[in-house]
Amino acid sequence: MLKATLRSFLAHKGRLMLSALAIVLSVAFVAGSLIFSDTVTRTFDRLFASTSADVTVEPKQDLKSSVPTGAVQTVPAALAGEVAKVDGVADTHADVSVQNIVVVDSHNKSVGPTTGAPTIATDWYLTRRSPVKLTSGHAPQGAGQALLDADTADKKHVRIGDTLTVQAQPGTFKVEIVGIATFTTTNPGAALVFLDPAVAAKELLGATGRATSISVDAAQGVTDAELKGRIGAAIGTGTYDLKTADEQAKSSAADLGGFLDVIKYVMLGFAGIATLVGVFLIVNTFSMLIAQRTRELGLLRALGADRRQVRRSVLTEAVLLGLVGSTLGLGAGVGLAFGLIKLMSAFGMNLKATEMVIGWGTPVAAYVVGVGVTFVAAYLPARRAATVSPMAALADAEIAGVGRPLRTRAIVGGAVGAIGAAALAGCAAASKTASAASLLGLGVVLTLIATVIAGPLLVRPVIRVLGGAFPALFGPVGRMSQRNALRNPRRTGATAAALMVGLALVGGMSVASASMSKSFDQQIDKTLGADFVVQNSNFLPFTREITDKVRGTEGVGLVVRQRFAPVAVRLPDGKRVTTTAAGYDAQVDEVAHVAYKGGDTAAALAAGSLGMDVTFAKDHKVRLGSVLPVEFQGGKRAEMKVGALTDQDSSGGFGTQGGLFFGIATVEKYVPGGQDSSLYVNRAPATSADQLRSRLEKTLAPYPQVQVRDQADYKKLVHDQIAVLLYLVYALLGLAIVIAVLGVVNTLALSVVERTREIGLLRAIGLARRQLRRMIRLESVVIAVFGAVLGLALGLVWGVCVQQVLALQGMKALAVPWGTIVAVVIGSAVVGIVAALLPALRASRMNVLAAIAHE
Amino acid sequence: MSTAAAEAPAADGVAARARGLTKAYGAGETAVLALDSVDVDIARGRFTAVMGPSGSGKSTLMHCLAGLDTVSAGQVWLGGTEITGLRERELTRLRRDRIGFMFQSFNLIPTLNAAENITLPMDIAGKKPDEKWLNQVIDTLGLRDRLGHRPTQLSGGQQQRVACARALVSRPELIFADEPTGNLDSRAGLEVLGFLREAVDQLGQTVVMVTHDPGAAAHSDLVLFLADGRIVDRMEGPTADAVLERMKRFDVGRGSAGPEED
Repeated sequence: MLKATLRSFLAHKGRLMLSALAIVLSVAFVAGSLIFSDTVTRTFDRLFASTSADVTVEPKQDLKSSVPTGAVQTVPAALAGEVAKVDGVADTHADVSVQNIVVVDSHNKSVGPTTGAPTIATDWYLTRRSPVKLTSGHAPQGAGQALLDADTADKKHVRIGDTLTVQAQPGTFKVEIVGIATFTTTNPGAALVFLDPAVAAKELLGATGRATSISVDAAQGVTDAELKGRIGAAIGTGTYDLKTADEQAKSSAADLGGFLDVIKYVMLGFAGIATLVGVFLIVNTFSMLIAQRTRELGLLRALGADRRQVRRSVLTEAVLLGLVGSTLGLGAGVGLAFGLIKLMSAFGMNLKATEMVIGWGTPVAAYVVGVGVTFVAAYLPARRAATVSPMAALADAEIAGVGRPLRTRAIVGGAVGAIGAAALAGCAAASKTASAASLLGLGVVLTLIATVIAGPLLVRPVIRVLGGAFPALFGPVGRMSQRNALRNPRRTGATAAALMVGLALVGGMSVASASMSKSFDQQIDKTLGADFVVQNSNFLPFTREITDKVRGTEGVGLVVRQRFAPVAVRLPDGKRVTTTAAGYDAQVDEVAHVAYKGGDTAAALAAGSLGMDVTFAKDHKVRLGSVLPVEFQGGKRAEMKVGALTDQDSSGGFGTQGGLFFGIATVEKYVPGGQDSSLYVNRAPATSADQLRSRLEKTLAPYPQVQVRDQADYKKLVHDQIAVLLYLVYALLGLAIVIAVLGVVNTLALSVVERTREIGLLRAIGLARRQLRRMIRLESVVIAVFGAVLGLALGLVWGVCVQQVLALQGMKALAVPWGTIVAVVIGSAVVGIVAALLPALRASRMNVLAAIAHE
Repeated sequence: MSTAAAEAPAADGVAARARGLTKAYGAGETAVLALDSVDVDIARGRFTAVMGPSGSGKSTLMHCLAGLDTVSAGQVWLGGTEITGLRERELTRLRRDRIGFMFQSFNLIPTLNAAENITLPMDIAGKKPDEKWLNQVIDTLGLRDRLGHRPTQLSGGQQQRVACARALVSRPELIFADEPTGNLDSRAGLEVLGFLREAVDQLGQTVVMVTHDPGAAAHSDLVLFLADGRIVDRMEGPTADAVLERMKRFDVGRGSAGPEED
């Protein structure tokens, strides 16, 4: 039996090729993402393990903020001396290292990385753990001198002797590059500027005698943990965070992790899509192979093979396919990881492809995915193969599976669909974001499954309509192609399902993102009253100089600052909520339209008061006039009165939880040294908007990190950011379409083989090659458009539900991008035409006589 | 019978004609001659049967006459048109417009119903069938109440009748039937042969039928006997017994009959 299986596998290898390709793709993405993330993790674990001090003393990080505030927390530099006295300490150093800077060259171009990796300014202090060494020039001496890392110097064409401008929080200063420091370890992609330790604190922190952390070297024979305990005992753990080298390495790696996790999840998303779509392809391939081999299987049964043997032989074939596909996929995954590593290098992260890490988990995952998916996908066809009766060998039976009723599918699909629809309805009706989101997830998954199961049932009615005009438009060729698509609803359904999955995703995401864009537009129209907004493109805070320069620009009437501060509030219902609050200047009403449910701007911004979103207030039993204990970063606390409650529609938009805000004086008081994140600028009377814009742009020329935007620019910025999300979805779609096209090609190619005699007959009685090609093309188009229509319909429903969830967060507008949807339908027809190219060519090249004689 | 190959044949009375028709498979030493310089005239308005043992080249002869297969040497005319040397597209059009086909099995497109199958060649050509003729054909073949049925809903005999109707409906110059009764029981087979006979006698069609069944051949006006790629004998007004006797001589001559191939 095994021999027969092997023979059959080899005999059908051409027909299995596309299925194998689908497996290769999904396995490649799984393996590639695992190898890549393993390699990155290993590289950075090593980097941080080798560069972390034995013990690090840092200011207490009690409030982590999702929105950067620009404030740098420090410790007294004298603490280094104090720690040095602890028994077991060999050496200490007061580090100064900040990331809230921008470094520009003489052309006002930033020398920082363009990837979002930080620009770091730090004191030049070489230890055995330093990640760099001086490779040319000399160490910085005094103010006005600095070193630059070699990668940045190389990329931005900075040479020794060049002058750079450092925009630090205390002020801007110029430095001459006196030397180049080269990474001895992996460069994580950051730009590094080194200053003389003697001046670093003053230049970067604005105060001598402060440090951002204290690095401690342990004496021989003292463990890190031991030393951490002793230092903690000496200086207290209330104000400081102490970390051993291991802990420090872990937290550094975790900081970096967010960015790398994104890559990993994107890759796994690709793997998921590839796998999901691949399943349909494999199911179809095996179903067709079995249909074609009905007589052969019948013969095996007639010769005495029992059902189990037949089933096992089909499954063995599937496992063989899975093994081959996984092995090739694993190889492709290594290539993919290699490519990603190279790509990262191009972006400045110098990973070494030679140090690629292939953990034992990678091949395991690759084979589990590859073989598992193939096995599962082939299981149903295998069971069907086992039901072939020995009579099939003798009778000239109609191909198996065509005529079987779809009742089970109808019942299961209907049931699952009903639950899914109920979940979606519940999601639309829900009033809490969390429950709505989980209902949405459930609904999306269930309706997808239901549509896949019930897809074949929809083939007849939908294709009758879609292809209804075919006989009129294309004559008998149109009629035959429509009927061919209807011929085996399961096959058409499964083929279209591959396309459907991807397009449903796109439909849903495009509705959601169009709705988001529209909501933001409405919100910007409704709330933003300023002529211009000065903001960093990535919303990071900027140096205070910019505020001063903007204020000093001719024609500027009013400047309202926005500054963020992480806070924790204790609420009347007992919850402690950590969030980010915004501070504003008093004239905020001039630049923004805020609607209040209670209180007003003045009351909210008064000293000792704050404003809050009314829904959040209700949820947590806060009333106008409630007094709440508020903790600030750095440990300061205050009792603050709720002075105003804002209507949800007007609360910002980049919703931080609770929508807390207060006067900017409050921020200054409790979190000194913060940087502004946005400036809302109104023009002075008698200055035109264009005039002010060009003046502001001139003023801000030395600060490439910030832009001047009016409402339209602001909307565009928001749209662009939403578009990034869409691009990702489009990339996923691209992959899904590639595999779906493979699926259509596969189905058509196998159908052409299956219908060889029919094609021969048609050719014999006078069907021209061109007509034959058109017949196959039209069938392909109708299948593809069927998948698109199903997918988009599903996606639209999802999108509307997603919008309902977003509405709970204030994004109330619903927008359906009809243009995109029409384009997708047209695109799917093109996909159909492309997919039909090869099978149609093959069919038209068939030898008429051989086709007629074909068994 | 003229042997001058280049001479344009008189179209009158001859539906198809071959001169020096040679078909070889393979090349060089291993080449097999399926047809060895065959000269044949198919008379218009007659029912001609082609018989011969397996491998005699009878199906190949039909395929070459019908423009389904290319020839290695020689010339073939359909009516006044020389079809050897025609390009693929012209051959397709020729088959569509001027020839009708019946095969042993798998004659019908399973997705189309009987009526659609019958008019398919005309639909492909974008021509309207002659309603009167169509109705006459349908009634002659007794298919009136089967027109809306799909092939799977028809018996084997009914399927062959639909195929016969399809071959007739465009009033082709020539109908080729390749073992049309091969897959039928004797009653259904007789019925189909009866219809082919009727097509010739009453509808004035020309039919060439390839068969290995002497009983089927007995329905024809003329039997051509092929052996080893040559026409070796002909029999006017055949009877089943006479044909059977003639066929037996082939078996003796060859020693034994090979396995059935066509």
